[in-house]
Amino acid sequence: MSILTVNLKHLYQRRGLWLVYVILGFFTFASIAVLFKGPAAGKGLFIGLVALAFLIGGLLAALLIEVLTKPFSYCLPGHRKVVRKFIFSVAVVLNFLGSLLFLWYPGLNSWQLVLVVCSAFCAGLIFYWLGVWFAFGVRNSVAFIGLWPFVIFGGGFFGLHIVIERAIVGNPFGVILVGVLSSVLAWLWLGDARLARRYCGVPGVGFFDAWNRDKMQRYRQVRAAVKWDKLKKHPSPWVETFFLGRMNRYDYVSTGRYIWGGLYTAFGIALSQLSQWKEAFSGVFLALVLVCFLGYMDPGGINMLFIMPGLMIAQMRLPVYSSMLISGGRNERYRCAMTQVITTAVLITVLATITAALSLPLAAIMPDITLRDITFAFHAMNIELFFIPLLMIPIVFTIQLIYYRKPVVMMVLIMLVFMLLFATALFWHKQLSGMINPMSIVILVALSWVLFTLVLRYVCTRRSLVGQG
Amino acid sequence: MNSEKPIVQMRKVCKRFGNIKALDDIDLEIHPGRIIGLLGANGAGKSTLLRHIIGLYLKDEGECVTFGCEAGKLGPKELGRIGYVHQEGELLEWMTVKQLIRYVSTYYPNWNRELEEKYVADYEISTKARVGSLSPGQRQRLAILLAIGFEPELLILDEPAAALDPVARARFLDLLLQIIQVENRTIIISSHILSDVEKVIDHAVIMKEGRILLDCSFDELCERFSRVRISALGGELPAELPFENVVHCQRSDGQAILTVQDCPREKLQEQAKSLNCWVEIETLPLEEIYKIVVS
Repeated sequence: MSILTVNLKHLYQRRGLWLVYVILGFFTFASIAVLFKGPAAGKGLFIGLVALAFLIGGLLAALLIEVLTKPFSYCLPGHRKVVRKFIFSVAVVLNFLGSLLFLWYPGLNSWQLVLVVCSAFCAGLIFYWLGVWFAFGVRNSVAFIGLWPFVIFGGGFFGLHIVIERAIVGNPFGVILVGVLSSVLAWLWLGDARLARRYCGVPGVGFFDAWNRDKMQRYRQVRAAVKWDKLKKHPSPWVETFFLGRMNRYDYVSTGRYIWGGLYTAFGIALSQLSQWKEAFSGVFLALVLVCFLGYMDPGGINMLFIMPGLMIAQMRLPVYSSMLISGGRNERYRCAMTQVITTAVLITVLATITAALSLPLAAIMPDITLRDITFAFHAMNIELFFIPLLMIPIVFTIQLIYYRKPVVMMVLIMLVFMLLFATALFWHKQLSGMINPMSIVILVALSWVLFTLVLRYVCTRRSLVGQG
Repeated sequence: MNSEKPIVQMRKVCKRFGNIKALDDIDLEIHPGRIIGLLGANGAGKSTLLRHIIGLYLKDEGECVTFGCEAGKLGPKELGRIGYVHQEGELLEWMTVKQLIRYVSTYYPNWNRELEEKYVADYEISTKARVGSLSPGQRQRLAILLAIGFEPELLILDEPAAALDPVARARFLDLLLQIIQVENRTIIISSHILSDVEKVIDHAVIMKEGRILLDCSFDELCERFSRVRISALGGELPAELPFENVVHCQRSDGQAILTVQDCPREKLQEQAKSLNCWVEIETLPLEEIYKIVVS
């Protein structure tokens, strides 16, 4: 079996990619489906698959970076060159298929069609190399993959698709020239031995590694060493003094000592960061940017701010599955975890509600923005949805507790919950508003907390707390 | 037999992970004041057994009692007497070494600051360093300090020396011997580096596929297995050698090397006298004993 074949096997052996294929399948279908109504020229309807090459190029390059980081791939004969072979093989096949869409381009004779298909093929290559360059050029680029569809849609909003289609059809020789030149450059760059040296044995965040605790831990260790100067500023001494002081108020066998200890390990780093004005200012600034962006999106868009923390806390680790032995037993772990989740839920709910309250006066002063004849108005958050974090946080932690040893399943389930709530906030927020009443909120929130408590209790009393059990 | 009450008692303990029987009918008693070597290949069930003792794993069947309390219900009172160094080396990455030591010591009333300072100095641990930036060896040293700092009655070491360099390993073994000087301290050490283990242990437990193959004192173990070197004093060795329980025999040119099991030295010496040969009886190193037991 050739090295290239072995590497191509990644495409179906990596289960995490299956989810990506579903998303890509959706994009591909949408790119073809727009032509069903009638392939009109000059409207940018043909370049869906060309633009998609950007996303695929980036994804494949990110996959290959993971291969390059394995020290053995540097040492194996011929392995260093496989990156180029792999990326070029897929580039040719993919862009050839993508360019065939232009065979339906109206108003062209046979020769012109051949020329335009070649031009589309080269345009696809240009996009593909941009994606590859992005993946290699930006550290941990996979972390930004989620944003790429927004880049594509954003480009579409500003009419970039029309410009590109016109360039492909109207100036095929120019596009072919740029495509060939960029491919030659990519060929030389990807074949450079320095590329393999740069990644050999360097830990990085790969596909879905955010849910792989061991890998993330190794990565953090390396980053911690690199960012020594930055890290030595925190945690702030007062945070340690505060939490250890609270712990010392309780007896050595008292649960209070463990609860404060658990809160220290859970929130110590965040508190330390927030207590530094630069970090706090950055946090507030980012939150404001997010509020403004989502506020202009859609009446339901801004309400995503209630949902997003639920997804973010999936990364938070409960003090249940820990092999660092301190003198707390299973009961202490249960109480610590319970306190941590309640504290998290309350803090996030309060923060989200304050943000919602702030968005009310903002709605009165934020101006309408008109772009390409579309007017965007700023919408305030629906403060009635304050209960969403309270509902979502125990559900996310319940999934985390059950599927702790199956991070991919855990990730998919959490994403499903998020997407369900996302769709609800975006499309059915009006219907949802009608259904919301205090009683239904109380019942839903209570059910989610009861479920979480039962699962947590079960895990802490009946399940293995480390390893495979 | 040890008359003191055991600090760990395991009776018919079974544990399964799916189709794999990780522990199979384990009976084990650990008495205070011993250094026990837990030996076995990867997947033999050593870590699983140790994790049962501290309640991180729960048995499927049987009974596991530590310090008189069912292992799954161990609380601060009992766990405050147990130190545990494990393979994963999980620590709080974002703290500095000093902060982590302060944090962990807050859980233990009998944390020994003197011991901490001595250990930090001897093992050249940088207390200002961020835990996340430590090398595997430094992390392991820190993990050992956190486990011994409160002078636990039971110290469980699961592959403690794997990440240590030879010098640090030698110091670590010395440290274990110092710890055991204090009355009623008990150490369970699981390691693949048998040459190190045999320097310190006084009791051996050998495991294979979730079962305990052998559980006896180290002296007893050494007495059970002997190597007999026989050299003919002129002429050939007899075709039949008069030794019993021979597990391995290697003959060449008037010489033979036998590995003998369960045969007292006195008896071996008596049997050797009947031969007109030069006979040397020696103790087997632990590594070879281990190979014989598990094969």
